[in-house]
Amino acid sequence: MLSEALKIAEVGGRRVISLIVAVSLMLLFIAGIGSVYNGKWFLFVEGGSVSGGGGGRNGFSLIGGGGFWTSAVAPSNVGIAIAVTAMAGLALAVTIVYSRSYDVNSSKEEREWIQSLNRKTYDNLQKQCRKIVRRLEKNSGSKENAENSLYSGDLSQVIGSGTDNLTSTQRSLLNEGEVSEKEVLEKEFAGKETSDSTHTEGLADDEVVQLPHLSKEGDAEKYEGDNDKSEITCETASPVDSESSNSDTSESDEPEIVQPFLSSTALNGNDLIESENLSVSGSHNRTKSPSDEDFAAWQRIICLDAVRTNAEWIMHSPSQASITELNARRLAESVGLKDYDQLEPCRVFHAARLVSILEAYALHDPEIAYCQGMSDLLSPIISVIEDDSEAFWCFVGFMKKARHNFRLDEVGIRRQLNIVSKIIRCKDSHLYDHLEKLQAEDCFFVYRMVVVLFRRELNFEQTLCLWEVIWADQAAIRAGIALSAWGRMTPPAPPNEDLLLYAIAASVLQRRKLIIERYSSMEEIMRECNSMAGHLDVWKLLDDAHDLVANLHDKI
Amino acid sequence: MGTYRADDDYDYLFKVVLIGDSGVGKSNLLSRFSRNEFSLESKSTIGVEFATRCIRVDDKVIKGQIWDTACQERYRAITSAYYRGAVGALVVYDITRHITFENVERWLKELQGHTDSNIVIMLVGNKADLRHLRAVSTDDAGSFAERENVFFMETSALESLNVENAFTEVLTRIYRVVSRKALDIGEDPVMPPKGQTINVGSKDDVSEVKSVGCCSS
Repeated sequence: MLSEALKIAEVGGRRVISLIVAVSLMLLFIAGIGSVYNGKWFLFVEGGSVSGGGGGRNGFSLIGGGGFWTSAVAPSNVGIAIAVTAMAGLALAVTIVYSRSYDVNSSKEEREWIQSLNRKTYDNLQKQCRKIVRRLEKNSGSKENAENSLYSGDLSQVIGSGTDNLTSTQRSLLNEGEVSEKEVLEKEFAGKETSDSTHTEGLADDEVVQLPHLSKEGDAEKYEGDNDKSEITCETASPVDSESSNSDTSESDEPEIVQPFLSSTALNGNDLIESENLSVSGSHNRTKSPSDEDFAAWQRIICLDAVRTNAEWIMHSPSQASITELNARRLAESVGLKDYDQLEPCRVFHAARLVSILEAYALHDPEIAYCQGMSDLLSPIISVIEDDSEAFWCFVGFMKKARHNFRLDEVGIRRQLNIVSKIIRCKDSHLYDHLEKLQAEDCFFVYRMVVVLFRRELNFEQTLCLWEVIWADQAAIRAGIALSAWGRMTPPAPPNEDLLLYAIAASVLQRRKLIIERYSSMEEIMRECNSMAGHLDVWKLLDDAHDLVANLHDKI
Repeated sequence: MGTYRADDDYDYLFKVVLIGDSGVGKSNLLSRFSRNEFSLESKSTIGVEFATRCIRVDDKVIKGQIWDTACQERYRAITSAYYRGAVGALVVYDITRHITFENVERWLKELQGHTDSNIVIMLVGNKADLRHLRAVSTDDAGSFAERENVFFMETSALESLNVENAFTEVLTRIYRVVSRKALDIGEDPVMPPKGQTINVGSKDDVSEVKSVGCCSS
């Protein structure tokens, strides 16, 4: 695996980037598995910093990658290629840690169990989505009525989830729903083991692993009210392995890309009647919280945004780019995606995957459900992760933090804007005074950057670089690399949970002169911020952000 | 009428908001009007965006500051602040998707809740180029607009059909309201002090438009 990774790293940018993101996405979830691993992480961290030679210029905070990062942020900016190769180093290091801690702390069986549990939960969500879509289609005989109720659903969703009480009820309903759904699923699987196992290998495996763990399931499902459902999302398949197998992909492999989905469709079709009989309790519980009308309203916007996703990802995912028209259309049809006539097959395919995963997410997290901007966050993930279930769980992990930006009560977004404002105040009182004078000190003008994490300002490649570093910081924190430990290694910038916000503040501070001297209204600043796209240097941005962290982290 | 001006020399600044369901083409209407651009791939608007353009009405230069907002419910609260000071609104629907027309009523209600009653409103049926997919007839929309007492126009941002007209019409109407009001209260209608806010209504929170430096967007 290691040598393969190296080989891939040398091939160059695109594939490496995929690798990196895949790995760092995993990174996101490692800590979620439990504090048991902290010790291991910690060990590695210290070892890494020693071998890394004591850190780089501005201390790109990930350990082990420190040496690589130094070259990545060198003022001369030797170019993305080098940076990317450097990041591969980081990714590799992380991969090693990742597998090591797994080896020590978990058995293969446990990992496979978690994996199969995740897959099953995802398949289950998918199944529900398809069921609802089918119901909606059935009911839309009188189309106008359906659309009317669709609209009222939209409203009721907003009004309904306005209070915390209700949303927590929804959540507990959902959890209950999940448990009973799961049980139902068990029964189904137990009953139909033979018939289903013919569909895909993956599912057959699931069954085998699943059955011995029936008793554990209840525990696993007893989540706290918190959003910690995503605890388990480390897929055992290493990204290197999946990458390399994909690079071998010829046309004959194409159906395989669709496979995870098709398998659940197949399952769906077969199970439809049966599961409707069996899962009365489960699915009814669930439909109480997000109604079919809610779902229809979400689906409508999801589809709209999915087909509007741009084509930047294509060059980074050759295997998905070469999907056949037939497969693309088949997938689109099964998720209810329409109005894609003007798109090429690979973009239809991409859009259909977005729809499929976002719909599942809406059921998984009905409080947030779907909110515009989420497709921006998911698109890069599915570009590098070809398995829908894996991509879904990565997205769930991603959303754990990001979901607060989409909350109706706006607590999350306000908190974040507030931090940006604080950073600017601490760093540059002159600029802050100017903002205050213009009544812009709430920093609303960076709203979009916060919500979609610079996705609109940076191109695909730059976005992945930035996200990768942000995730690495968060992962380091979750892994328990505290300030004290950091102090011993004396790099200038410790990992920071809110690195994104420092980067946003940095992008504003880079324009301080312009803002102070030329702009005399919040509108002008907003226009400036909205037109940053294509004018940002991601390395400079990260450099500045780390400087800010180094200077201000104890004041914010 | 409708000429581009590159300087910041304007007599009036009017804030106009674009609202309507997701995907009806608000952002493209704005980019067509302000930059004469159109993109089939424009993404959903996150938060708020705006653009400006100056037009000439009579001998006055009117600067339209057009606000384009995210339209999903989720973003309402934060964007509703941006209704403040709006003296005009284009309520947009997609002529090929009936539900976007049905929702117009809700958008009008929303406007009533946030703006002054004197606000100039135009109902805009966009994507008129998609004739073969039409789901809302011009007559239906026209009579609805009449009932609601708002102006109505069908546009195509793609074909650049009526876009200019729609915005110009709204800005001109606002101008008329403003000059009439000025006349009513006996001020000199032609010379409102520059840089002052222009109030078409009675509420205090209306027209908090600040003077913006430059017309070019």
